[in-house]
Amino acid sequence: MTQSDTPFGPVSGPDMADWCTLLNDDNQIHLTREAAQAAGFGPNRVNPGPANLAYLMSALMQDDPDTVFASVDARFIGNVLEDDHLIARTDGSEATLLRDGTPVVTATFTFGEPE
Amino acid sequence: MAETPAYPALAPGKFDLSAARDDAVRRMSGAPARTDDRAHPIFAFVGALGGLPMPIKDLSESLGLDFAGGPVLARCQIALTRPLLVDRTYRVTARVAAIERKPSRRYGHADHLHLAIALADDTPFTEIALHIIFPAKGDA
Repeated sequence: MTQSDTPFGPVSGPDMADWCTLLNDDNQIHLTREAAQAAGFGPNRVNPGPANLAYLMSALMQDDPDTVFASVDARFIGNVLEDDHLIARTDGSEATLLRDGTPVVTATFTFGEPE
Repeated sequence: MAETPAYPALAPGKFDLSAARDDAVRRMSGAPARTDDRAHPIFAFVGALGGLPMPIKDLSESLGLDFAGGPVLARCQIALTRPLLVDRTYRVTARVAAIERKPSRRYGHADHLHLAIALADDTPFTEIALHIIFPAKGDA
């Protein structure tokens, strides 16, 4: 499988509220710019981590709509902020979410057989 | 003699994986449209947290962890026995696997929470191991 880059963004601040509703997470750094600023992240809201992993999974699904995920091992090594533009780089079983060229999530996948 | 659990038992929860929720996640993450009843695989994570019997903030604080100090999601490992399906309600079973205090360059000391959460109905679907790092209270 060859390397593929899928652009994503700008990351939506209002979508963060919807992610938080799904996750039952009311951490204010995802919901208000004031809280993000107070926590040292700057003036933009912080994207929930599961959303960042979802971008990588969706990029793999775009590469192959019949993808069946069997396992995921993801490490969260940086933050994604409101209005960011990202690249989801996939290469076989490896995927990396890049923000300004710097990895923020790395993940290794295994795949099952389509039914 | 019965063993004393190392950590408090967590009540079971549930997660309603509706087609509308799957549509929303696909839109928000740039996924292709659903073509059958298989849900986006991130619901192994979303359903795990969203189906806990209490918000992760309350769970963390009930365990004595400093949620207000700014926890950091470090790692997740997901095993998907079979694809999650839309328009199903899944039983969510969670347990605290470990809480460890370790030295931290960022915080001085940090509390490492390890949660194991499974989604199932009559059969197992997904399991996730979550690793979340909290600044240790009183150690800023």
